Amino acid sequence: MIDAPSSTWFTAGPHWHWLIVLYFFVGGLAGGCYFIAALIDILGRAEDRPIARLGYYVAFPAVALSGLLLTLDLSRPLRFWHMLIERNTFAPMLKPWSPMSLGSWALLVFGLFSFISFLGALAEDERVRRPMLRRAQWSAFRAVRPPSPLGTIVAVLGGIAGMFVAGYTGVLLAVTNRPIWSDTPLLGMLFIVSAASTSAALLMLLAGRYGWEGSPGVAALQRMDGIVLALELVVLIAVMVSLGPALRGWLNVWGLVLLIGVIVPGVIVPLVLGWRHRGRRAAAFALLPVLVLVGGFLLRVVVIFSSESI
Amino acid sequence: MAEPMGFYTDTTVCIGCKACEVACKEWNQLPAANGGANTMSGDSYDNTRRLDGIHWRHVKFVEQFSETRQDGRWLLMSDVCKHCVQAGCLEVCPTGAIIRTEFDTVVIQSNTCNGCRDCIAACPFGVIDINPVSGTAQKCTLCYDRLQNGLEPACSKACPTDSIQFGTISELRARAQKRVEQLHQAGESRAYLYGADEKMLGGLNSFYLLVDRPEVYGLPPDPKLPSRHLQSGSVLTVLGALMVGLAGVFSFRSRTSEEVRP
Amino acid sequence: MYPRSMRDSDCIVVMGSNMAENHPVAFRWPMAAKVEHGAKIIHVDPRFTRTSAVADIYAPVRAGSDIAFLGGVINYVINHQRWQTDPFFKTWVGTYTNAATIIGDEYKDAEDNDGVFSGLMQHKAGVPEWPYNGFSSQYQNDSWQYARTRIGDQGRVASTAQSGETPAAKSGPEAEGGGGRTGPPFDALVHSLVKPRPQRDDTLQNPRCVFQIVKHHFSRYTPEMVERTTGCPRDTFLKVADTILANSGADRTTSFAYAVAWTQHTNGPQIIGCCALLQLLLGNFGRPGGGIMALRGHASIQGSTDVPTLYHSIHGYMAHPTALKKHETLADYLIAETVPTGYWGNMPKFMVSYLKSMYGDAATVENQFGYDWHPKILGDHSHMPMFVAMNEGKVKGMLCIGQNPATSLNAKLERAALQKLEWLVVKDNWLHETANFWKTSPEVQNGEVSAADIKTEVFFFPAAQVAETEGTFTNTQRMLQTHYKAADAPGDCRTDVWFTYQLGKRLKKLYADSQAPRDQGFKNTTFDYEHEDAKERAIGEPSAIKLLKEMNGYQTADPARHLAGFGELKDDGSTTCASWIYSGVFPAPNRNLAASKEPDPPGQPGAHLKWGFAWPANRRLMYNRASADPSGKPWSERKKWIWWDGSKWTGYDVPDFALTKAPDAQAKPDGIALDALSGTDAFIMKGDGVAWLYVPTGLVDGPLPTQYEAAESPVRNPLYKQQSSPVFKYWQKDGNALAGVGDAQFPYVITTYRLTEHYLSGAMSRWLPTLAELMPELFIEISPELAQEKGIDNLDWVRVATPRGQIRAKALVTRRLRPLQIDGRTLHQVGMPWHWGYEGVVRGDVVNELTALVGDPNVSIHEGKAFVCNIEKA
Ligand SMILES: Nc1nc2c(c(=O)[nH]1)N[C@H]1C(S)=C(S)[C@@H](COP(=O)(O)OP(=O)(O)OC[C@H]3O[C@@H](n4cnc5c(=O)[nH]c(N)nc54)[C@H](O)[C@@H]3O)O[C@H]1N2
Ligand SMILES: Nc1nc2c(c(=O)[nH]1)N[C@H]1C(S)=C(S)[C@@H](COP(=O)(O)OP(=O)(O)OC[C@H]3O[C@@H](n4cnc5c(=O)[nH]c(N)nc54)[C@H](O)[C@@H]3O)O[C@H]1N2
Ligand code: SF4
Ligand code: SF4
Ligand code: SF4
Ligand code: SF4
Ligand code: SF4
Ligand SMILES: [Mo]
Repeated sequence: MIDAPSSTWFTAGPHWHWLIVLYFFVGGLAGGCYFIAALIDILGRAEDRPIARLGYYVAFPAVALSGLLLTLDLSRPLRFWHMLIERNTFAPMLKPWSPMSLGSWALLVFGLFSFISFLGALAEDERVRRPMLRRAQWSAFRAVRPPSPLGTIVAVLGGIAGMFVAGYTGVLLAVTNRPIWSDTPLLGMLFIVSAASTSAALLMLLAGRYGWEGSPGVAALQRMDGIVLALELVVLIAVMVSLGPALRGWLNVWGLVLLIGVIVPGVIVPLVLGWRHRGRRAAAFALLPVLVLVGGFLLRVVVIFSSESI
Repeated sequence: MAEPMGFYTDTTVCIGCKACEVACKEWNQLPAANGGANTMSGDSYDNTRRLDGIHWRHVKFVEQFSETRQDGRWLLMSDVCKHCVQAGCLEVCPTGAIIRTEFDTVVIQSNTCNGCRDCIAACPFGVIDINPVSGTAQKCTLCYDRLQNGLEPACSKACPTDSIQFGTISELRARAQKRVEQLHQAGESRAYLYGADEKMLGGLNSFYLLVDRPEVYGLPPDPKLPSRHLQSGSVLTVLGALMVGLAGVFSFRSRTSEEVRP
Repeated sequence: MYPRSMRDSDCIVVMGSNMAENHPVAFRWPMAAKVEHGAKIIHVDPRFTRTSAVADIYAPVRAGSDIAFLGGVINYVINHQRWQTDPFFKTWVGTYTNAATIIGDEYKDAEDNDGVFSGLMQHKAGVPEWPYNGFSSQYQNDSWQYARTRIGDQGRVASTAQSGETPAAKSGPEAEGGGGRTGPPFDALVHSLVKPRPQRDDTLQNPRCVFQIVKHHFSRYTPEMVERTTGCPRDTFLKVADTILANSGADRTTSFAYAVAWTQHTNGPQIIGCCALLQLLLGNFGRPGGGIMALRGHASIQGSTDVPTLYHSIHGYMAHPTALKKHETLADYLIAETVPTGYWGNMPKFMVSYLKSMYGDAATVENQFGYDWHPKILGDHSHMPMFVAMNEGKVKGMLCIGQNPATSLNAKLERAALQKLEWLVVKDNWLHETANFWKTSPEVQNGEVSAADIKTEVFFFPAAQVAETEGTFTNTQRMLQTHYKAADAPGDCRTDVWFTYQLGKRLKKLYADSQAPRDQGFKNTTFDYEHEDAKERAIGEPSAIKLLKEMNGYQTADPARHLAGFGELKDDGSTTCASWIYSGVFPAPNRNLAASKEPDPPGQPGAHLKWGFAWPANRRLMYNRASADPSGKPWSERKKWIWWDGSKWTGYDVPDFALTKAPDAQAKPDGIALDALSGTDAFIMKGDGVAWLYVPTGLVDGPLPTQYEAAESPVRNPLYKQQSSPVFKYWQKDGNALAGVGDAQFPYVITTYRLTEHYLSGAMSRWLPTLAELMPELFIEISPELAQEKGIDNLDWVRVATPRGQIRAKALVTRRLRPLQIDGRTLHQVGMPWHWGYEGVVRGDVVNELTALVGDPNVSIHEGKAFVCNIEKA
């Protein structure tokens, strides 16, 4: 402690463990998938819409799961609503300068959008049966997806909310006094980039399951993932540089996990292989997204636990 | 608002008796670690180890002896929430459980806290933790209940040597300054005040007289507000989002152009 | 002195105590002195403790070497230029001490006699019924006496000779029957005891005068010798000695604080005496911030010696009648115990009033106020001999009230003694180690002894706690303070005074019809303290206020007329007073001074005379006449306390002197009591009115302190041929072996002590979770050097062995302990807090499995502070 690299070494860990790691990962996927889906909805062609639907199918359950994980992580889960409503006055509780406060509202808002878009996707998907609604009513939900004007608004706003959910967690970590987390302002950026890379990877993986490997949409996803992974590598290096002396927090087993669990297999390998096999149906097609996903998960494990263990 | 109240702790007269630690527990009805059946830490006389949800006061023991014992000191210091004028914990708390009182102290309302633990990570001093009994984040309240009834906090009341002194901040600062001067005159040139002016988080309403670097006592040399990264972190995150957006636009756009090619 | 007075000290030496850790509340005053006027604090201790942490100078010493250290300071002071030239020291020492008194020619000092004093002989006293006194040798102290025309001692052999051993052979009046008078008034008897004045040499040059004897006695206690013997580096020692001297004199005072690290030795009282000698040389007595602070152990331990639970004295420090001295009749007793000159000359008044309190109307002049009914002791009935006797089947039953002997000295031996009892009553708040000795002690747990074979019938009485009791406490300042009951005790829990009262009443009933002479005492004892409050009376609780009244005393003929003080006591039975020193605390039925709570206004130099009541006569600093110079003027403005205003003594405190006796008043040549003292005789409890540098009587192990090694020591005494005290007490028994000098099997010095976090055997702290968590496990403190030598890491389990037993503890490796260089070789010391046992929320081995039944000959305290051991990684 006496030669601690940063004043953050004198603080206490909040015991954010596996539930939070999972939340960070799942929340990132929710936001990322929605964002990509919205992107496809707005920019893509009609034949890409199944991939967009996949994105919405992932986003809503993932955000619901996120809420659940967060609630479960509270020491007093039944008081989850205190995040939104002040317990003594019952006035709305919002502190724009507190990432966690803002994040709670963002989750709510994003949850709403992703639910609407989820319904929209369901409505569009002919294979889904409609238990309660008549066909006509059901199809009305298509209107919540682009290209309708309402749909475009939903997609844009939802996409922004999604990106918020994917990224605010990094800001939340930065807005503490914990080692590593608050020794760099770049975790938000890192998380958002990683959310995009893992989301793209997840969508590729799911697309693969439906045998859409060759589709142009998937190719675009691959391309996007490549760019984002490259970005991620740059941001990771920037994070390490910005940590300065606090990088000492990674001169341990967590640094090793970062290197051999995240950077090499989760970023560099997919980047290189993806670039080499671009456009082709590589045997490794299923493997690369898995590597990216595992890498993205481990990234959060490292970020959380390396700090918690100090 | 009443005048700001707080503690001045003169570590040079602390005898490490832990009366403050126990008095706090008695007054606030805090349980003992493992029902008392704790284990020895092996770290000097400190077996409770840190401030947490059931230890709102904690006495630190720092042994400093050269190999020959020519120089030898055993620094003792009773640690507690600093009741920062700019309080990190209060800043981040998403439920509004943490409030500033009329005494300029920082208090967690246990009925409001839902245990998100953001404040734990936000405190620059590692003061807060969850009390396993209430399931909420807890720390020193500066005996808000006693203050409201005109009583001195339990810990300073119990301190036999007046190492912990309670009073109005202005009076405490004057007293502390005099003591530092006295020590300087007596040749203890290392004595200084930690957190007694606005430079540190707007002032610590529980400040210290120390005779070695803050780190030696387990105190951050340069405590900061968590919000220091709010702006930069947000901007950079938005930048990240934009880059991802661009990457997406580029990817899907270029595909379109590719498809268009015959 | 008293703790608050330490605020006035300019230097405070804590030696023989870990004051900050064990007396934290009293320690506020040294801290205040430090903050308020930069007083220097010195801690002399084998370990660097929390007291050392706030001290200006820490001096490490080997446990058991305090006299060498203090003797070194004495030698330093006497030979120092400033001491020899500053008129303050010469005047103070010459006037207020016995420095000038000439000692008889027969006296041979230890310095000239291989470390023993003249008069050493085989032990011969004692009665066959009680062969447990633990002596093998004893001193005949005739040769230690003042030179007078006629040889004799000072009359009363002070009650420090606890075992009631036969004092020096008497010559003079007692042989002649006390002047023939056996009834009151006893003035003639007292007159007959007066001896010729001792010879003096006011120039202090006579080689037989006390000052020259003292100087010679300590002449070899040089800084080099101190370093060799104590292990304290020479420079550190000199810094200590210099600081003490620099902070003594007309304008400055130094105080010492000690507790059981000075008492728990085979020569404990001598260590304290050595400090007193030094403080007298420095004029640090009776003055604000000067003196020796005897830190008492418990909240009312002072009270328990005033109104004693001690076996060898009765209320107010009068000797307990004994079968070992000529105490056959009241007159015999008074002849043997009265010091005719000085305030003790009034002893017949104290004693007769005490007997009136014991036996009420039944006590008459004709029956010597019931003196014959009073029990007599047979020898040493203190803790160790009692358990030795118990171990040998001599004791049938035990009432264990507020004690935990199963964890006491040589614990296994003491538990073996408990196994021999027919019955054991434990009255306590917890089912502690003693209450459960038959069930959970180590020997029962490991099968060595079967619970079924232990025939002791154990009764457990749940005790009320202190907050559930009313009464007074007498604190370390001799101050009585009334405390009120905060809550009723739950269920069947009863106060200790309830228990004693009910037991007494039942015994009285049991003996009511007995005609046996030995039962007459019980029959005649007055025992009537029925509570005023109906609810309390219904459960049988006695009245604390009536008990206080009995202590204070009243006119026998009219009990509503309380005594205003011990000045009113009479030796004819017209006054009744249980404890003369407490007289004045309750001067009128509606004036309980123990309940007064009016502090002095802040910033005044007062003694807070309206807060509580300090015996004697509410004076706070004893012998405070010495705070003024012989002519009655304060020694300095800074240190003024009591002075002569031309017609009377006045000042901040109650003067400890005859109020109107002028500084130039002469002693009455044939006077008794205070009449025999002059206007400069400040030490009014002493027969010769002066403080004793040299102690001719009262101590059984020598008139001057001498460095002896502990009964078990790894080193040969560097100063004398005599290794240890020639007269220490030791009980030779299986399981109580001592290691020989320098025994290679037990190479380390071990000491035992307390932690702030726990209380004694732990029964009052190991059951409390908030205290237990602070210090949960038994540990042994070891220096890194020794740890490395033994391959022990921090927190390793360590086995600690002595010739008596073996225990396990966790290692706490710390540089706060250090190896010492003793006589040219490296010596390691280890230390263990002794608060653990086999019951409670947190448990650990009993450290007293290691200690021996060996102790001091004056007060029979055990030697728990310095013995030898071996350690191994377990
Ligand atoms: N917290 C707490 N306070 C207590 C008690 C308790 O159990 N816990 N007990 C009370 C009672 S009953 C008593 S009697 C007092 C005792 O009060 P203290 O006498 O202060 O108690 P100890 O801790 O036994 O011993 C004090 C110091 O003596 C040192 N020492 C050992 N041997 C020697 C030696 O030969 N010379 C010198 N100079 N020092 C030596 C030890 O290292 C230790 O630091 O405390 C009372 N106060
Ligand atoms: N090795 C070693 N041994 C030592 C010492 C040492 O320094 N080293 N120190 C010695 C000293 S100084 C002392 S004083 C002794 C102390 O030794 P003990 O007196 O045997 O030990 P305590 O733990 O004080 O026991 C007091 C008991 O009284 C009970 N009690 C508390 N309040 C009340 C009450 O109001 N009524 C009743 N009936 N019971 C009550 C407590 O629960 C506890 O069981 O130990 C001595 N033993
Ligand atoms: S010290 Fe920590 S817990 Fe206390 S007020 Fe400051 S930030 Fe909050
Ligand atoms: S744990 Fe409680 S007090 Fe702390 S930030 Fe969360 S809600 Fe606020
Ligand atoms: S002020 Fe009160 S709550 Fe805070 S540490 Fe002191 S006793 Fe505990
Ligand atoms: S009560 Fe006072 S002296 Fe004791 S540990 Fe606490 S601050 Fe230090
Ligand atoms: S335990 Fe009681 S007697 Fe001992 S220091 Fe504390 S208050 Fe004083
Ligand atoms: Mo004691």
